[in-house]
Amino acid sequence: MVKAVKGTLVKCDASIKAMLVKMDEDHNHEFIIEDLDEEHVLVKDSKLAELKQRLQSMMKERLKEPESSDSD
Amino acid sequence: MPPKRKAKEAVDSDGYDSQEEEALSDRETFDSLRESFDVKAMAKEARAARGSNAASFLFKKCDQFDVGLKKDHASRPLWIDDAGRIILESFSPLFDEAQDFLINIAEPQSRVSKMHEYSLTTHSLFAAVSVGHSSKEIIDKLEQFSKIPLSPSVIAFIEKSTSSFGKAKIVLKKTLSYIESDDPAILERLLKDSVIAECRADTTVGLIKEAAPKIGAMAIPGTKMAAGANQIAHSSLDPQKPSEMIATLRDEDDDEEVAQVHSFQIKSEERERVVKQCQDIGLPLTEEYDFNNDEVNANLDIDLKPHAQIRYYQEKALSKMFSNSRARSGIIVLPCGAGKTLVGITAACGVKKSVIVLCTSAMSVVQWRAEFLKWSNINAEDIAVFTSESKNRFPRNAGIIISTYTMITSTRNRSYDSEKVMEFLRSREWGLLIADEVHVVPANIFKKVTYSIASHSKLGLTATLLREDDKIEDLNFLIGPKLYEANWQELSEQGHIAKVQCAEVWCQMTPEFYSEWLKPSTVQKRALLAIMNPRKFQACQFLIDYHERRGDKIIVFSDNVYALEKYAKKLNKAYIYGDTPQAERLRILENFQHNDQVNTIFLSKIGDTSLDLPEATCLIQISSHYGSRRQEAQRLGRILRAKRRNDEGFNAFFYSLVSKDTDEMYYSSKRQAFLVDQGYAFKVITRLEGLEKCNDLAFYTPNERKELLIDVLLAKDTEGDTEKIAGDMFGSRFASTGGKARKKNGARRTAGTLSELSGGQDMAYIEYNKSRNKELKQKGIKNNFIRKLQQKSVNAKKAARG
Repeated sequence: MVKAVKGTLVKCDASIKAMLVKMDEDHNHEFIIEDLDEEHVLVKDSKLAELKQRLQSMMKERLKEPESSDSD
Repeated sequence: MPPKRKAKEAVDSDGYDSQEEEALSDRETFDSLRESFDVKAMAKEARAARGSNAASFLFKKCDQFDVGLKKDHASRPLWIDDAGRIILESFSPLFDEAQDFLINIAEPQSRVSKMHEYSLTTHSLFAAVSVGHSSKEIIDKLEQFSKIPLSPSVIAFIEKSTSSFGKAKIVLKKTLSYIESDDPAILERLLKDSVIAECRADTTVGLIKEAAPKIGAMAIPGTKMAAGANQIAHSSLDPQKPSEMIATLRDEDDDEEVAQVHSFQIKSEERERVVKQCQDIGLPLTEEYDFNNDEVNANLDIDLKPHAQIRYYQEKALSKMFSNSRARSGIIVLPCGAGKTLVGITAACGVKKSVIVLCTSAMSVVQWRAEFLKWSNINAEDIAVFTSESKNRFPRNAGIIISTYTMITSTRNRSYDSEKVMEFLRSREWGLLIADEVHVVPANIFKKVTYSIASHSKLGLTATLLREDDKIEDLNFLIGPKLYEANWQELSEQGHIAKVQCAEVWCQMTPEFYSEWLKPSTVQKRALLAIMNPRKFQACQFLIDYHERRGDKIIVFSDNVYALEKYAKKLNKAYIYGDTPQAERLRILENFQHNDQVNTIFLSKIGDTSLDLPEATCLIQISSHYGSRRQEAQRLGRILRAKRRNDEGFNAFFYSLVSKDTDEMYYSSKRQAFLVDQGYAFKVITRLEGLEKCNDLAFYTPNERKELLIDVLLAKDTEGDTEKIAGDMFGSRFASTGGKARKKNGARRTAGTLSELSGGQDMAYIEYNKSRNKELKQKGIKNNFIRKLQQKSVNAKKAARG
């Protein structure tokens, strides 16, 4: 029987893709359906919201944001 | 504490202020005094009385919503807010005049193309008073330039600062220390202080009265005024009628009676204590040296050579140092390549006494000596050099000694020779101490210098008066106030320094490298991964190729030695780092300057300062010391001397390669802050045009990239560290954070047969990635004709002998 999974194509920088792949590995491969190439990846539609949120928190954690200048 | 809380409840908004005031009255330390001289604190008090509106929270520091503009505000260039911050419109017709004035009284914060920002600080006002501005003059001028009426708190701040600062001077006369002032009341106030009274040397009750020296009598050598002064000196030799002479003498006497100074003598050995005590009670002393009347110390025969013409900004800087015909201690800030050395030399020519010059490394000692010989007529044997290699002294009574900070302050056991030279340095009086690159010298080291060397005046020279820690303030007390700071953009407009196009190149991380980067590992390893990013490598290679084709000379900077070696070997370029022997360094630099086969060199941070490479026109930075603004500015300084190219309106190019989505991005934005304040704009390049089309780039295939990655991962953690350079202030723990010494590679033992190693078996030996340095070593004579010629002469000699 054919099993169909609804997916979303994510186009991003290589570095962001590396983050997505890492997250996928940490969570039993439940996000990514197919790793296409350096800048494209197909993820499960149902997990999109969760993925977005995780990516955001990961970026916050790993990357130092340039300080915005104080406007006082 | 119940009463405090009550106060807070009563006045909700300014509860913070009242708390602070209470705290202030408790403490009686110097810090508190400094705080009370702070314009912000004073403005805060004043503001408490004023109302607030819905937008007030946006303008915490200074809310000026209720200030009215003057009627003719459009023609006035300044905006002065309550916090002492001054905004200057650089497009105003009055700009030049206003800038000349502001540079005297305020510290420049940011000078971009249309708006300049200055701030009034106690130190800047102190400096203003020391060059002869009165508080009334400052306030009147500011009022004249300002778009808005000056707020009472700013006026009060100026008056308070100027009335207490710089009124009393400490003067060395005939090697004795005096405290001098125009106003006897101030001296009396000082004498009431028990500590200072204790240190007083003369026993008379009253004060010593003397004629004030004439202002502006000093002509700076190398200027038109000096030429004029010489003529006057000549003409005055003409015989005069006696009656006229007497008349002129009388005139002079009359003049002198008008202005008088008062002074009292202090014990020389208590000098440091007095200076400190005066700072504590809020009456700091200015240090001045009356070198014209110093008969004790021998004069040095030194003058600028006639061809040495000093530029207008150098003249401005020096005129501040020498106004009043005395040498005033302080710091002069000029961008790299704008002729700091010449300012130092001219100052030495002005003082004409023994001079000691301190620099950061042995390499710049050599350069200083060469500059002295180039610009002045000094006798070559009067310039002595005191480094670990040579320990000379000058033969006559006066001379110049050039040394490094580390040599003077070293606490280790010295050799007999250097101990003798140190004894010599300590035992005599110096007219002038020139401190090169003064920003790298930590306060405690400089204190040591001032204790061991008795100098009448001190001149600090630097391009970047900033540090990541806030130790820069200490220099104000140790050397003196900032006397002059040049405007970088103005100088580059006028062609005194090169115009530089700055760019930040964003390089994507490759997925393999980035997934490694994401893994938890040490900071060093991550930094190394970001530096060794193959995309960055390719961008670097691309830029080098591009600029070599244009005929540029390129310097590539890398703080990281591992990366430096990898890059240089892969690209087959010469490289220099801390462990490179001196002879090899000089050979490589010489080749870089004169050999058109060597257009690119890789430098570690030893090249950051004091390395004159006027040929370089392009600079690529692949790794750097975290968020150090100073390093960025100093590196830019390496190409500010470039003037030989002038196409596209720029003389030189500065690239900073940054790996995207890594910490480098964060540090890069921090690093640029200083240069942006100087008016430089950084162009962000996300994609290099034509990079994809090149297929001869390094690490083009995924396989090569994988190999590189494994190599990087296998590199020891210590490799990721930045190098430590002995004998250089930059490597010291004061100037930078951390930086452990690099471990030496130990011996490695592997099993094998001798025949295998000697090539007896099926193995050939090829060296990949060999260092270009070696190649430069054996540069024999290549031209056939010249070789033949030499051969002939050798043969002829042989024939003659045989």
